[in-house]
Amino acid sequence: MDASFFDELWMARSALASGLFCTIGVSAAAITAGSLLGLLIGVSLAEGPKPLKLACRIYVDVLRGTPVLVLVLAAFYLPAVFRLNLDALTSGILALTLFCGAHVGEIVRGALQSIPPGQIEAGRSIGLTYPKILVYVLLPQALRSILPTWINTGVELVKASTLLSVIGVGDFLLKVQEIIGRTFMSLDFYVLAGCFYLAVNFAVERLGKAVERRLAH
Amino acid sequence: MRTAALALGVFAFGLGAAGSAKAEGKLQEVLKRGKLIVGTGSTNPPWEFKDASGNLVGYDIDIARLIAKGLFNDPSKVEFVVQASDARIPNITTDKVDITCQAMTVTAQRAQQVAFTIPYYREGVGLLEPKNSKYADYAALKAAGSKVTISVLQNVYAEQMVHQALPEAKVDQYDSFDLIYQAVNSGRADAAATDMSALRWYLKQNPGKYTDAGYGWNPQTYSCAVKQGDADWLQYVNTALREAMTGVDFEDYKKSFETWFGETPPEPKIGFPSEMR
Repeated sequence: MDASFFDELWMARSALASGLFCTIGVSAAAITAGSLLGLLIGVSLAEGPKPLKLACRIYVDVLRGTPVLVLVLAAFYLPAVFRLNLDALTSGILALTLFCGAHVGEIVRGALQSIPPGQIEAGRSIGLTYPKILVYVLLPQALRSILPTWINTGVELVKASTLLSVIGVGDFLLKVQEIIGRTFMSLDFYVLAGCFYLAVNFAVERLGKAVERRLAH
Repeated sequence: MRTAALALGVFAFGLGAAGSAKAEGKLQEVLKRGKLIVGTGSTNPPWEFKDASGNLVGYDIDIARLIAKGLFNDPSKVEFVVQASDARIPNITTDKVDITCQAMTVTAQRAQQVAFTIPYYREGVGLLEPKNSKYADYAALKAAGSKVTISVLQNVYAEQMVHQALPEAKVDQYDSFDLIYQAVNSGRADAAATDMSALRWYLKQNPGKYTDAGYGWNPQTYSCAVKQGDADWLQYVNTALREAMTGVDFEDYKKSFETWFGETPPEPKIGFPSEMR
């Protein structure tokens, strides 16, 4: 890396900042919405009535078995068949949310089912309704085993967000590619991109670890 | 990216039929909307890329503005939709964009899925040499035979493509554009083989450092593309493009051509129309 790299870096600072903001924003939105969706899916998979269970199972298996790129393309092009023209950003967040929801759903189901059924029965025997059992008995315990894999899903999602550049979302990677297009400094800027993604994912992981420690007590 | 292309191809094919019911033509739709929606890229100079201040610029961008100027008498009434090159065809067939101008090579296969406009550029491959090279031009490179090394962007056909012009040359393939130029700078390659448009752009970016060896081959035609089945829209775009290249908008067109390719296009002749010859 030479001096001209830092010149170009300085010149591109606002483009890179907007790309980073986009990547973080898209990932945060998808993780938040996807985790809420996943919580509902997971509870339904573990304890829901049969038809709901079946519907959730199909959703989870289809979404987990599909490459994220295909999900992204489907979210962008399929609604257009019904004359519903989603913009690239909306379709991108939708695809990542559905992807995240399926993964978190399975994580939550696994965690809930690992808790001995005796606890639900005990809760019921002291007169708790199911929602209350869920909130006071099951979820606090499940959370501990959910967290590590959930963080993993978050990290995967940040990386998957780079696929949105295919449909034209101005994420960090696309911004980097635009700078390379102008400056021909591909090696320098791809290394930079690698460092940024590493930093973001390291931050996500540290955050997760901190929450894990707090929950351990 | 092959998976992407494949998936997109399937989408494009499936959706082509679905989105065809339309009450009125695209031309009226665009005029009513008050802006033209153009699909293009952002990473491919000199065709479409972001300049240092972050604006989308390039030859395709100027072409799109010329089409908008014809529609609204205002070249700024364009909304650019940034898309990967794999998305060019699906975005047309699903009406995400009115037109795509993105250095699109005309092929008979693609012409079955979209309607191509009249061509606005002839792409080819050329050879970029350092100014002080011991091989003065293409003839010298060819005469040197296997002593010459050519750097080229990695591609399945790269070796074969270079050998069309220099049958005996050694071919070094690199991963990215900066590396093929780097190989020339460091003397590891005697010349770089790259698209004529990219070569001209690089020459213009680095005045006095390189020369064009003066031979072009591997011809390809570039056109914009629109959805099939709307003759009025295609006819409008064709008229706008033709009049830019040979008629009333030639001054705008010439300025753009000089900016991006460092060359002046031939002045249109007055008198008998050239397209009738």
